Amino acid sequence: MSIIETVNISKRFGDVQAVENLSFEVQPGEIFGLLGPNGAGKTTSIRMILDIFKPDKGEIRVLGGPMTDEKKNRIGYLPEERGLYQEIPLERCLIFLAALKGMEEGLASSKLKDYMEHFDLYQYRDKKVKELSKGMQQKAQLITTLVHDPELIIIDEPFTSLDPVNTEMVKDMLQSKRDEGKAIIMSTHQMNQVEELCDRILLIDHGHRVLYGTLQEIQKDFASQDIMVTPLSSLPDAIEGVREIRKTNGRFRLVLDEMAKPNLILKNLINSGVELTEFENAVPPLNEIFIKFVKELEGEEDD
Amino acid sequence: MTKVWHIIKNEYIKHVFQKRFLLSLLSLPGLVLIMVGLGLLIGFLTIDRTPVGYIDRSGTLSNPVPLEENSSIFEPTIKFKPFENDSQAREKLDEGEIQAYYIINEDYPQVLAVDLVFFEEPASEIQDQFDQFVKQNLDAYQELDLQIKERLEDGSIITISSLDGSREIRQDQWYNIFIPFVAGLLFFVVVMTSGGYLLQAVVEEKENRTMEILVTSVTPTQLMTGKIIGNIGVGLTQLIIWLLFGWIGLLIAGQFFPAVQDISISGEFIAVLLLVLLPSFVMIAAIMAAIGATMTETKEAQQVSSLVSLPMMIPYYLSSTIMMNPNGALATALSYFPITAPITLIMRMGFTVVPAWQIAINIAILILFAILAIWFAGKAFRMGMLRYGKKLSIKEVLRKQV
Repeated sequence: MSIIETVNISKRFGDVQAVENLSFEVQPGEIFGLLGPNGAGKTTSIRMILDIFKPDKGEIRVLGGPMTDEKKNRIGYLPEERGLYQEIPLERCLIFLAALKGMEEGLASSKLKDYMEHFDLYQYRDKKVKELSKGMQQKAQLITTLVHDPELIIIDEPFTSLDPVNTEMVKDMLQSKRDEGKAIIMSTHQMNQVEELCDRILLIDHGHRVLYGTLQEIQKDFASQDIMVTPLSSLPDAIEGVREIRKTNGRFRLVLDEMAKPNLILKNLINSGVELTEFENAVPPLNEIFIKFVKELEGEEDD
Repeated sequence: MTKVWHIIKNEYIKHVFQKRFLLSLLSLPGLVLIMVGLGLLIGFLTIDRTPVGYIDRSGTLSNPVPLEENSSIFEPTIKFKPFENDSQAREKLDEGEIQAYYIINEDYPQVLAVDLVFFEEPASEIQDQFDQFVKQNLDAYQELDLQIKERLEDGSIITISSLDGSREIRQDQWYNIFIPFVAGLLFFVVVMTSGGYLLQAVVEEKENRTMEILVTSVTPTQLMTGKIIGNIGVGLTQLIIWLLFGWIGLLIAGQFFPAVQDISISGEFIAVLLLVLLPSFVMIAAIMAAIGATMTETKEAQQVSSLVSLPMMIPYYLSSTIMMNPNGALATALSYFPITAPITLIMRMGFTVVPAWQIAINIAILILFAILAIWFAGKAFRMGMLRYGKKLSIKEVLRKQV
């Protein structure tokens, strides 16, 4: 059963068509990347899923049907713009928000203690939220998102303001939540994190679905004929079947002639006595796919 | 329901345990205390304690019984000094040893009038004391029963009754007029301060995006209900503490001014007061929350909230008209208009008998508007969520489907 299923949802604000005919599904046990340039309709889609407002058209099924009050307790949400009560002590703020997710206060308190210890926040529990650093507030907000053990986790830019150590900690936590079978929707502009964490992605632009599928499928679709090699010795100046050799980060990108097959190139390389530690199809980084796609769409629009 | 309870609790604790609440809590009794203290101090300083002289030619005070010593420092017993003749008394008056002197002529028993000589007229309390001094030394007075003496000392109390007997007002029940004014004013201050907190809290939650977390955890109606009840809790705490201060103040004042001890308020008045004020409180809190939800800045929201606070005070601006004709068209109309209803109705009840059916309609209107205001606030909330950083017009909130 899908955790989220949207069928042809549309939403318009005045003259702006924020989302149009968007359909996608999110499964349990996956990290689903919701990508798109600024103003693409990501946050609008998330808010419709969360029933903050309703779509003009289309249908959304969350946890097996329409949103209910009870289902709100099974969802964790980290909004793009963070919000915690600034004037009250951290622990009270977290207990209150956990209670609103239906947690009994005693349980909330003990689970929050574990989380705060895990994220090095326990010693700051009596401090007012506004006295905490941005990164600490970010961690506190993540705790609020996760403490009630939600089945569906929706996080918008989870790594902003986090240092590398904390970023790693959050990544580990998200991965372990996925392994527990939770569904995670992650919206971010950090493509390296998407490549590292996401199982499937949805790229939207101007409210439309542009790309949708597993990361491997998408990268394969965009893979060129190029081959990446890492030789132990230097490469010959010319290789049969190779049109161009480009050096990138200690590796070499071999741009093949149109009819050349990778097998042939490998054979040629071995025959010319080159020792290789790496030989693989060049997978385009997600970043490149993203930029290429968005630029292409912009170009179409300009025409 | 538990979620609403958590919101109530959070809202209450968030405001009540803040310095600004403590300050506003203490500011009113503090101000009253300072004003009363100043008044008493001025009274104390302006009383002239210099003795008063008298020349008795009628023999009434030949062997006078002195006045009972009064313990009040604000109305000390003045010493009355006898003089043989005019010139003797005049000399002491010139020297400032006495502040004035009375001349009781031979014909006093017939005319019952005395002359008073002064440079500056003695305070009325001092003249009253002399009256009492003379009265208690009259032969006829001394022969009277104790009870009659007490009645004489108390003086007359005029009671005015309406022909159908539904209402009467006594001269010494001045507080019947005073209390509605004070109750209305207290209500206004409490509603506007706690409403102001609510307004600010909602705008802040919108500004710092806590709202987004809140609405993904509870429904707008739960949120609104919790916030409004929490807010009323804050207001009631303020009110109860102020009433407590007031009660203690009256107890203390009663020690000095016996008239204060007679103050009593009818249970019926209190019951109607509660029935009128509670829905009004809910209504105004909900309007404040709705304003907060549609505005983007605290300052702006506060300005808009004066659209509520100013009309609420209309009955005060028109108080003389309402007082002159408490069942007239204007007064009646104002008590049907929800924003002016609470204060108008309380005022009218102080001056006249408001027909029960009118009170019932009033309460019904207020309850209806309280419910409507909560609904409106909930809707404004959803709309406000949708339109971060943009203001909303009332028309939009009413028209649009979210």
